Amino acid sequence: MRSAIKQVASGRFGVTTHYLVNADMIQIKMAQGAKPGEGGQLPGHKVDAVIAKVRHSTPGVGLISPPPHHDIYSIEDLAQLIYDLKNTNPAADISVKLVSEVGVGTVAAGVAKARADHVTISGYEGGTGASPLTSIKHAGSPWEMGLSETHQTLVANHLRGRIAVQVDGGIRTGRDVVIGALLGADEIGLATAPLIAAGCIMMRKCHLNTCPVGIATQDPVLRKRFTGQPEHVINYLFFVAEEVRELMAELGYRSFNEMVGQMQMLDKTEVIAQAKAQGLDFSRLFHKPEAPEGVAIYHCETQDHPIHDILDRRLIEQAMPALENRTPVRIEETINNTDRSAGAMLSGVVAKRYGHNGLPEDTIAITLRGTGGQSFGAFAAHGVSLELIGNGNDYVGKGLSGGRIVVRPDPDCPAIPEDSIIVGNTVLYGAVEGECYFHGVAGERFAVRNSGAVAVVEGAGDHCCEYMTGGVVVVLGQSGRNFAAGMSGGIAYALDEDGSFPTRCNLSMVELEPVAEEDDLLEKLHHHGGDIEHKGLIDVMADMSRHDAERLHQLITNHARFTGSTRAAHILENWAEYLPKFRKVMPVEYRRALAELERQQEDAPAMARAGE
Amino acid sequence: MGKVTGFLEIDRRDRRYAPASDRVRHYREFVIPLSEEATRDQAARCMDCGIPYCHTGCPVNNQIPDWNDLVYNGNWEEALRNLHSTNNFPEFTGRICPAPCEAACTLNIEDIPVTIKTIECAIVDRGWQNGWIRPQPPSEKTGKSVAVVGSGPAGMACAQQLARAGHDVHLYEKNAFPGGLMRYGIPDFKMEKSHVARRIMQMEAEGVTVHANVHVGVDIDADELLKRHDAVALAGGAEKPRDLPIPGRDLNGVHFAMEFLPQQNRRVSQEPLGNVTPILAGRKHVVVIGGGDTGSDCIGTSIRQGALSVTQLEIMPRPPEKEDKALSWPNWPLKLRTSSSQEEGAERDFSVLTQRLTGTNGHVTQLDCVRVDDRMQPVEGSEFALKADLVLLAMGFLGPVQEGLIEQLGLELDGRGNVLADTRSYRTSNDKVFACGDMRRGQSLVVWAIREGRQAARSIDEALMGETTLPR
Repeated sequence: MRSAIKQVASGRFGVTTHYLVNADMIQIKMAQGAKPGEGGQLPGHKVDAVIAKVRHSTPGVGLISPPPHHDIYSIEDLAQLIYDLKNTNPAADISVKLVSEVGVGTVAAGVAKARADHVTISGYEGGTGASPLTSIKHAGSPWEMGLSETHQTLVANHLRGRIAVQVDGGIRTGRDVVIGALLGADEIGLATAPLIAAGCIMMRKCHLNTCPVGIATQDPVLRKRFTGQPEHVINYLFFVAEEVRELMAELGYRSFNEMVGQMQMLDKTEVIAQAKAQGLDFSRLFHKPEAPEGVAIYHCETQDHPIHDILDRRLIEQAMPALENRTPVRIEETINNTDRSAGAMLSGVVAKRYGHNGLPEDTIAITLRGTGGQSFGAFAAHGVSLELIGNGNDYVGKGLSGGRIVVRPDPDCPAIPEDSIIVGNTVLYGAVEGECYFHGVAGERFAVRNSGAVAVVEGAGDHCCEYMTGGVVVVLGQSGRNFAAGMSGGIAYALDEDGSFPTRCNLSMVELEPVAEEDDLLEKLHHHGGDIEHKGLIDVMADMSRHDAERLHQLITNHARFTGSTRAAHILENWAEYLPKFRKVMPVEYRRALAELERQQEDAPAMARAGE
Repeated sequence: MGKVTGFLEIDRRDRRYAPASDRVRHYREFVIPLSEEATRDQAARCMDCGIPYCHTGCPVNNQIPDWNDLVYNGNWEEALRNLHSTNNFPEFTGRICPAPCEAACTLNIEDIPVTIKTIECAIVDRGWQNGWIRPQPPSEKTGKSVAVVGSGPAGMACAQQLARAGHDVHLYEKNAFPGGLMRYGIPDFKMEKSHVARRIMQMEAEGVTVHANVHVGVDIDADELLKRHDAVALAGGAEKPRDLPIPGRDLNGVHFAMEFLPQQNRRVSQEPLGNVTPILAGRKHVVVIGGGDTGSDCIGTSIRQGALSVTQLEIMPRPPEKEDKALSWPNWPLKLRTSSSQEEGAERDFSVLTQRLTGTNGHVTQLDCVRVDDRMQPVEGSEFALKADLVLLAMGFLGPVQEGLIEQLGLELDGRGNVLADTRSYRTSNDKVFACGDMRRGQSLVVWAIREGRQAARSIDEALMGETTLPR
C-alpha cells in the first residue's frame, strides 16, 4: 500500500523492501516527542489478523518495539541506516525524527552530515492517547527549545541549507506555524488537530480498541462510525494557512522562506516580563545566529548522496535480463568493505517491479568474493540470492525481505570456521522473510527483532534472538548470555553441548524444552515415516508447533549444502547423538497463540458442517 | 470503567411509561423503573471517556462515569455517595431533568446515549429504599444565621449546603408547603410531592427551619430579614409570566399556566385552594399556547381532568426530527421532542401566532390565528380559527417579580430584569444579599437551580467564615 511518508521505527515491523520503495519520504523515527526514550507496545488483543499480516507477526501475540534502534548506537550507525534506506529507495527523501531536548542541535548537525534530507524536531505536546500516562505527564520538552537549538547549530556549522527542518508536536494554529518558521522551521507538522477535524473526540481509548468514532480501532463495527472526510481536514488546513498569510502580511513577508529563522521578529518582551519567567535567561533561546555571506539559513540546497557509482549499479546492470524478463542470471563480482548495503538497491528495483513476492528463488544469483561492507544483503528481496565468500560485517541481512544470504569463509582461509567470527553485530535486524546460512560465528544481537527469517549460524554472541517475533534460528555452537530476551514469537534451537545454556538464556518470556523425536506422531498424521528428504522447507515450516526434529534436520542439511560446513556435516552424521543436545526455545505467548489458531482452524470446518 | 466493550454488546434500554390509556386516569407517576440487572447492564455501556463530555453537559457536573462504574460493579451505596457529592437532590433530576448529560454522551453521536438519568434515579431511589439517605447535621454550629428566601430547588440546595456547613438556616416560603415550582408547578404525574417532603424532612433534621406561609416583602419586610440574619440568599424564582396582550385577553377562560397548574397540585395534595375560582379543563376544548415543558404539563393535566380536545400552539417552526450531530453534539440539540403528555393525545401546530380571542357572554370561544414565516411575520391569507373553551398561556417567564422583596431591597437588576449577581460570588448590589437560581439567571432547569444554590451557599459560607470547604 502506498503512502507518501513511511516510518522506520525501532521495531521494524513490516518494514519490507516493498514497503520502503512505495514512499516519497522515509522517516527514521529515533524517538517520539510525547514519550522520548521509550519503545512501544501493541497489546496482544489488538493484534488481529490484518495487523499481524501488515506487521508480519502472529495474531494475538503482543508486539514490543525496543526503545533504541538496535542498528544505531552512534551517529555513524545512523548514517549507515540512512544510506541503507537511500539505496533501497533512491527516489525517496530520508528524514530523521528527533525529540526536542538539550543537545538536539548537535544530533541534528550529525544527521545533516549523515546526509539525511530532512530532520523533524518533535515536541512533547500532542501525541496519542495510547502513550503511557507517566510519559504524557512527565516526559519531553517543548518544540520551541529544540527547534531553536537545531536551527542555530545548523547555521553555525553551515549545514542549514542542506537539510529541511520540520517541527511538530502540538501545532494547532497559524500563530504556532509562524512562530515555528521564525524559530527556524521550513516545514510544520500537524497531526492531532487535523485528526480532531476528521472526527477524533479525544476519548483516550486508542489502547483499548474501542474508539467510539472509529479512528483508533480495528473493530469493523466501530470503524463504520468514522464519518471524517478529507474535506474536513482540508478546511481546517485552509484556516491555518489563512491565519499564516495574515500574520505574514502583518510582518511584511512575501514568502515562507523569507521568514525562516528570523527570530528577532518574535515579540517576547511581555512574556519574559511575566512573573514566572523572572530569573530565567532566554537570550540563547532567541539568539539569531550570524550567517556569513553565502551561508543559507533555510533549506535551499540538496544533499549529495554517494550512490552514483556503487556495486549495486553494476549488479543491476548485469541483472537486467532477470529484472526485465525474469530470465535467471548468475553474477560474479568482487566486494570489499567500502561496498556498503550490497544488494539493497538491486532489491529495491525487484520490489518496485514485482512487489513483495518478487522473483522466483535464485533468479538473480550473485556470488561475491571479498569482505562485505556494512549491511551486506540489507533488504534483499525474493529472488535475490547473495553468496559471500569471505566475511561479512555488521548488519548483514538487515530487513531481509525474502532473499537468501550465504556467508562462508574463503576456502584458503586458515581460520577454523566454527571458532571464528564470520559476520558482525546485529545481523538480521528486522528481517521479515528469507533464509541465511553463516558458516562461522555471529556477533552480538544475532536475529534481533527477526519477524520471520530462517537462519543457521555456528555460534552467536550475547542477546541472540532478542525481541524476536517470528522465524527460526538455529545455533550450532556456543551462544552468549541473555538469549531470547523479550522474545515473543518464532523458535530457536540452540546446541547445548555442555548443558550450560539455561544459565545464559533469559527465561522471562520463553520456555526451554528438548527437541522431541516425533516420527511416531508424524506417521499418524501423514501416514508415512519421517522421510524428510521428500519434504520441502515449506512443509516443515508450515506448523511451528510440531515437527521440530524434522525441521531442525532439514535446516542443518541446507546449511551443509549451501556452506559446505564440516560442523553441520558432523552433526548430521551423528544425528542420534546430537539431537538430544539441542534445546528448543519456545516463547510462552507464541505457543498459546499457535494453539488458538489451530483451534480456530479445527473449528472452522466443524462450523461449516454445522452451517449445512 | 464499566465494561470496556459494554457499549458494543448491550443495547440502550430506557424506562418505559405505563400505557397512556391507563396513566391518564390518575395523577401518579407512570415511569416503570428498570430491574436492578437491567440498570447494571445499562451502566456497563458507559465507556468512561477520556474527555467525559457528560461532566460538562450536566450543569451540576455529576461524575457520571464514576457512578456508572460503581453501579456496574454493584456498589450502589458508594455510587449514591458520589452522586450526592455533586447533586443534593438526584431524585428530582432523575425524574424531571431533560438530561443534557445524555445529549453530551459520546454514544449520543450514534443516538444511543447511556441512560444516565435512569441510572441516576435508580441509585437515589435505592438509597431511599434502603435507608442510606440520612440527615447529615453539622458537627459544629457556626452561630451564623442565614435566610433563604424561596424554597424551590435553588433555595433548597442553598439551604441544605449552608445547614451542613453549620449555619442556622431559615427557609422562607410564601406558600403552605416548600418546594416552589416543583411543588406547585410540576404536576404529580411527573413527580410526586412526597419526594420533596422527604427532602424537607431531611433538611429540617440538618438544621433548616422552614417558615411556610411567609411571603417576604409582603408578610414581613425585607429589611427585617436583613436585621435578623447575617446573610440573605434570594431564590425566589422567575415567576413573572409572559403575557399575550391581544384583543380578548381579558375574557373568562384565558389563564396563565401558573394559575391553572397549582390548583390541580393542591387538589391532589388535598391542600385547600383558597379563595380562587377553580379552573378546570373537563368537557372543554383546551388550547395551550406555548410549546415548552410548562405547556406539556398543562396538556397532561387537562387530559387527566377530562378535556374534550387539547391543542398546543407554538410560534416557532417545527424543528427537525433529527439534529445534525456534527453541528450540535455535545450541546443540547434543537429537535422535535414529544413529551409524555403530548403522547397522551394533544394536537400540535407550529408557526402559529394568535391574533385575537373572541367569545360570547364574556367567555372565550375562539382563537383567531395566523401562520407566521421564518421571521415570525404573519403570512397573509393563512388565517384560521380554533375553537376553545379554555386557553392556557404557557409562553415562558420574563423574570422575577420585582414588586415587594426586590424593590424593598433596592437591588440592581441586569438587562433582562433579573437580580444582578455574578456566578462566582452570587452577591447582589447589597453586600449581605446573595441571589441564585431563576431569580438570578432567569427561567431555567431544576438542575441549574441546584447548581446555583450550591455555589451561592459556598460563596455565602466564605463570606461569613472567611473560608469554606463547600464545593463549587
